[in-house]
Amino acid sequence: MAEAANSVPRFDTRTEVDFVIIGSGAAGGIMARELSVAGFSVVLLEQGPHLQAADFRHDEWAYDVNNELTWSARQGHPQTFRKSEDEEAVPVRQALGYAHNVGGSSVHFSGNFWRFRPIDFMEASVKGSIAGTNFADWPISYEELEPYYSRVDWEIGVSGLQGPWDPPRSRDYPCPPMPIKGSDVLLERAAKQLGLNPYPAPVAILSQPHNGRPACTHCGFCNGYGCEMNAKSSTMIAMIPQALASGNCELRTGCTAARIETDDAGRVTEVVYWETDGSVQAQRAKAAVVCANGAETPRLLLLSASNRFPDGLANSSGMVGKNLMFNGYSTVAGLFEQPVNAYKSIPATRVVHDYYELPSSLGFYGGGGIDGRHPTRGLPMGLAMSSSLFGGPSWGSEFKRNLQREFTHTAAFDGHTTSLPVSSNSVSLDPVVKDKWGRPALRCTYKDHPDDIATMKFFYDLSNELMSAAGAIKQAGFYPENGQNGNVHLLGTCRMGNDPASSVVDRFHRSHDVPNLFMVDGSSLVTSGRGQPTMTIMALAFRAADNLIQAARRGEV
Amino acid sequence: MNGPMSRRALLALTARLAKQSCVVLTLPMVLSGCERARQSATEGALFTTLNADEASELAAIASRILPSDETPGANEAGVIHFMDHVLGDGRDDELVLLRAGLLELQSMVQQEFNTPSFASLDSSQQDELLTSIESTQFFGTMRFLTVAGMFALPEYGGSADLPGYRVIGFESRHFWQPPFGYYDADYAARGE
Repeated sequence: MAEAANSVPRFDTRTEVDFVIIGSGAAGGIMARELSVAGFSVVLLEQGPHLQAADFRHDEWAYDVNNELTWSARQGHPQTFRKSEDEEAVPVRQALGYAHNVGGSSVHFSGNFWRFRPIDFMEASVKGSIAGTNFADWPISYEELEPYYSRVDWEIGVSGLQGPWDPPRSRDYPCPPMPIKGSDVLLERAAKQLGLNPYPAPVAILSQPHNGRPACTHCGFCNGYGCEMNAKSSTMIAMIPQALASGNCELRTGCTAARIETDDAGRVTEVVYWETDGSVQAQRAKAAVVCANGAETPRLLLLSASNRFPDGLANSSGMVGKNLMFNGYSTVAGLFEQPVNAYKSIPATRVVHDYYELPSSLGFYGGGGIDGRHPTRGLPMGLAMSSSLFGGPSWGSEFKRNLQREFTHTAAFDGHTTSLPVSSNSVSLDPVVKDKWGRPALRCTYKDHPDDIATMKFFYDLSNELMSAAGAIKQAGFYPENGQNGNVHLLGTCRMGNDPASSVVDRFHRSHDVPNLFMVDGSSLVTSGRGQPTMTIMALAFRAADNLIQAARRGEV
Repeated sequence: MNGPMSRRALLALTARLAKQSCVVLTLPMVLSGCERARQSATEGALFTTLNADEASELAAIASRILPSDETPGANEAGVIHFMDHVLGDGRDDELVLLRAGLLELQSMVQQEFNTPSFASLDSSQQDELLTSIESTQFFGTMRFLTVAGMFALPEYGGSADLPGYRVIGFESRHFWQPPFGYYDADYAARGE
């Protein structure tokens, strides 16, 4: 990108800046750009490094096995997992997955950018309450968020085509849809046979040059990998360079937030953090914006407990860390006569949204979409690690021969589904395991609601039906009928709401308890959507920044 | 475009895209990847983590997990050199497990075949033994590292020409154009 037009500032940690932002990911990158371009002084803390396109590789050993981007106990960041609160959590490689680098998980995501629909924001009113859940309406509507969805389309960069059932939009997509892949030809033809309506998938990947960035070259390493061409629309490439060019934003990488300090009036004064070498710093600021994701944001608030806030900062509702939502999934792989070569190009180019809302006659709540993909994200090592897609030996000559067909001659039809907010599904502090800084490890407690499992099964069955209609020679699939053990969608853990008794932030992402503290990321979501949350996280960030800028100019932060 | 992308083609592409987009592209990374691959030589390389006996035995096991048959196997991929490299890089648990497992396997070999070496058995004897220990952690770890070594980049110690990619029909490129396969070509031909 263009060289910074202004020199990058170096702010004194002992002098108040306007905003300290914790986390430079999908939301944090947008907050940093918006606030700094608006003229406010911003310190942006990021625990990972500032990787750029030139650093990314097609390296499965580094990324998928050794968690080079997502970190695990190998990098000093253990996690624990349990299904319910009466169990003791056990160390796992990773339950809550996210990338630790400038741009956060927008760097390694697949870039499926489904907007939420109007129903997503008011579904509890329409469908009614659901036992054992905190299912609720959002305090904002689709119409309020729509202008910000369009800003994501144009300023972050989204390719797609407006479909007949898509929610209304104020502007067209800036880029046409990506070219269809063989896996999605199979899905599209099968869906039409079943009377369904497949449509080009909206993706945060450029089909043509846009905003000074080039089009995708279809290399195939999207999901789990950083884009070597800058065609994937991460905040790393779409937002951070502009924040740095403003001359008002100092990006501090390798800086891990330890706690947020407050004064006697209950206002944030500074954020304490570790530098890479372990030295402790504290940045004073007029306000703090926490964009650390649905796992790290509640963890930081819980770690910031004090005499005044004994249950954690901003947690008078008791909702910090609660209502964790993952999104459900299902997958069905099929073997075909001819080469599909789904390992080439982006993950998904068609989506079937006819079951966005399942009919209530089924007796359970849910909804979702299905897209066509490669069974193992197009990854050679990934396929071989997974043994055999359709049964058969997992080593030896026959295994090798099967791999050959399974890599090139397969497609997968994947379901992406709703998760209900359940208060016992949570992010909390592990009482035993510590990370490299001596902090309690992230502890994840998660058991899918029975309706979520039923929804996954519905989409699994539908994918099987589609796969048969597509003419697969063999097919086999999976859905987590006993519940998920982790995910990369980390939602709902500091939910937004009008009532301070049942939510953590207000409709403008301001803490109900601490007036100069804002939480903006997946933690703000009230409901899960249908499986592709980042588009909405980004739209919320643009909206939060817009309101925060106006409030700051009025002197109301 | 047909055939792997040459450096010349990549340079041309880069120049074209750069004109369109004023973005600094990632050519140095792609080229340095090529250089690294060229420098990685496994022929006759010395082992740094495993001793020669361990290396020969583990290589024999890897060669049954991914045999050399009509297509290349673990041997051609230099899997044992990959294992030697990564086992010396923060994977002590796996190294300890493999050493203990190998001793156990060798004592089974001694008992059943009256020879101390797994590598000296014929392939059907080897397969029979490995089948009997398929569910052990030792075999699971061997399978994991063999598969990883077959597909890991050469900078981790394995063969520079990545024969694993040829086995499964994966073409490693940074650039493709549609149609990508049979069905999307057919879709375009029919004007769907």
